[in-house]
Amino acid sequence: MTSLESASLVYADKDGDVFACHDVSLEVRPGEFLGILGPSGSGKSSLLYLLSGLKVPTQGRALYRGRGLDELSDAERSRLRLQTFGFVFQHPFLVGYLSALENIMVARPDQDCRDESMALLEAVGLGEKSHRLPHELSGGERQRVCVARALLGGPEIVFCDEPTAALDHATGIKVMDLLRSHRGTGSLVVVTHDPTMLEGVDRAVHMAEGRVL
Amino acid sequence: MPTYGPLRAGTYLWRNKGKSLPLVGVIVLAVMLVSGIVAMMDSIPLSIRTIYSYSRHYVGLTPRGDPEMTGKIRQTIEQEAPVPLDRVMAVRGLDLNVMSIVGKWPFVILALKPEDMSYYMDHVGPGELEGRMPKDGEPEVVLSEPVMRNLGVKIGDVVLGPDKPEAYSPYKVKIVGKVHSQEWTAVIPYDYVAANHFPPVDALLAFAKTPVEQAKLDHWAEKRFTGERARVFAFHKLEKDTSEMFRILYKILDVVVGMLVVVITIMMGMLISIFLSQRVQEFGLLQALGYTKKAILQRVMGEMTAVVVGGWVAGVLCAYLLLNVVRATLMDPKAFMLDPFDRTAYFYTLPVPVAIYTVALATVVARFRRFDPVAVVERRLV
Repeated sequence: MTSLESASLVYADKDGDVFACHDVSLEVRPGEFLGILGPSGSGKSSLLYLLSGLKVPTQGRALYRGRGLDELSDAERSRLRLQTFGFVFQHPFLVGYLSALENIMVARPDQDCRDESMALLEAVGLGEKSHRLPHELSGGERQRVCVARALLGGPEIVFCDEPTAALDHATGIKVMDLLRSHRGTGSLVVVTHDPTMLEGVDRAVHMAEGRVL
Repeated sequence: MPTYGPLRAGTYLWRNKGKSLPLVGVIVLAVMLVSGIVAMMDSIPLSIRTIYSYSRHYVGLTPRGDPEMTGKIRQTIEQEAPVPLDRVMAVRGLDLNVMSIVGKWPFVILALKPEDMSYYMDHVGPGELEGRMPKDGEPEVVLSEPVMRNLGVKIGDVVLGPDKPEAYSPYKVKIVGKVHSQEWTAVIPYDYVAANHFPPVDALLAFAKTPVEQAKLDHWAEKRFTGERARVFAFHKLEKDTSEMFRILYKILDVVVGMLVVVITIMMGMLISIFLSQRVQEFGLLQALGYTKKAILQRVMGEMTAVVVGGWVAGVLCAYLLLNVVRATLMDPKAFMLDPFDRTAYFYTLPVPVAIYTVALATVVARFRRFDPVAVVERRLV
């Protein structure tokens, strides 16, 4: 579905080029739960950015359904992310002046999705807090709103970058349960340094120094 | 991309009133300041045109250096005028000072013969007479309502007298009548002035048969008596002189308003930049989720448009209300002129929204040009 072919992501540094990802080939298969493990600085997040089109490889290729993401314009890649992918980031980013419900609706700006958003908010256990603003929610609650936002519209792939890193272990487990149970037929790609968060994973790859081991 | 639901342009502004209202407030104050200054400035030439508006009903002619010229001027005008004349009258004048927002201005009390007084009042400042007309040879005047309001006098008061250095007359000249007309007029018996005041020289007022022909008569007189020992007073000349007199003042006003707009725009640019910095996380998140730069830019510019246009419209309305209050409380009681619907004043405010919008657009575009959403979601930018 989405894949990398000998993809590298190089940042220019004052000491020379730094390879965030180095010659990585990887495919995300339909419906699979893919875990990406590795220590901090191993290139896990960069790999996720390449797979999701947030970054374009400086070498090699990133493909979605056989088409190179580098062939798409910035606007086309944005549309692909919005309509096809869901995202959960390490920090529970929400729009500060929108309610929990509205923050979920943000993921589908081109359609009326209030009912589906409300259903997802109830599914993550926050139905009664739909009108609360982000600063009125705990960190765990905010991340659950982010999970609901990522699942809105049934995306083909949900990309999660350390979704439990800012949470305590128990809350992290709950968030992962929600992602697993509500992703439907879509794929789930989770980047984490904590293997205990990958219960039920279909496949796990390990990274070190920008390479898939 | 069409945006439904929570991310309409008004949502941010409405839910962040603490941030958006100060922006609107700055524009409102700027518009009020600029329009207020220009409207007050405009009130000066407006006052000149209003106070001396009575002169548009006739052309005035005075001899220069030779009292005998009056008869010759009358003869010339009666024989050569290009339009039918309704009346030519010999008059004299007395000086009276009226008040304006920039100090005292001279105003003429016309000394008219009995046979001319009613004609003059009917043609120049028709209106209901309260009191009575002056008696022949007596120290009595009739003033129109705006003149009396300006001087703060009433029927029975003295306007000229031996104890008034700036409005001298050997006898106390009392107000015996008040004409309810918007035209500024003042008349006194000719015989009283001829007997008690210098110079013993008559001036002439020439009235065209119809008001539409008066301008033609004015222009002809101005041209005909050029180089002659006569001076011509015509309303169009007053208008022209007023415009020339204020041309330099308006150029200074342009510079002042320009500097004001620059200062306000720099301040607004800095405020907008600060507000955008506070929203970097929001923009980064939306872009990471898949909103295009264009869509985010459009939304921000929609918000800016609402702030700038809303601020300008509110500013114009507030300025209109303020100018009405100023007119009612400060200007009208003294019959000072002020036009709350002065289009020039509001036209002068247009650079305010245009400059602010331009700076806002430049600030937003510069900020988004190299914006990387990954830097936001990785918390490198927040």
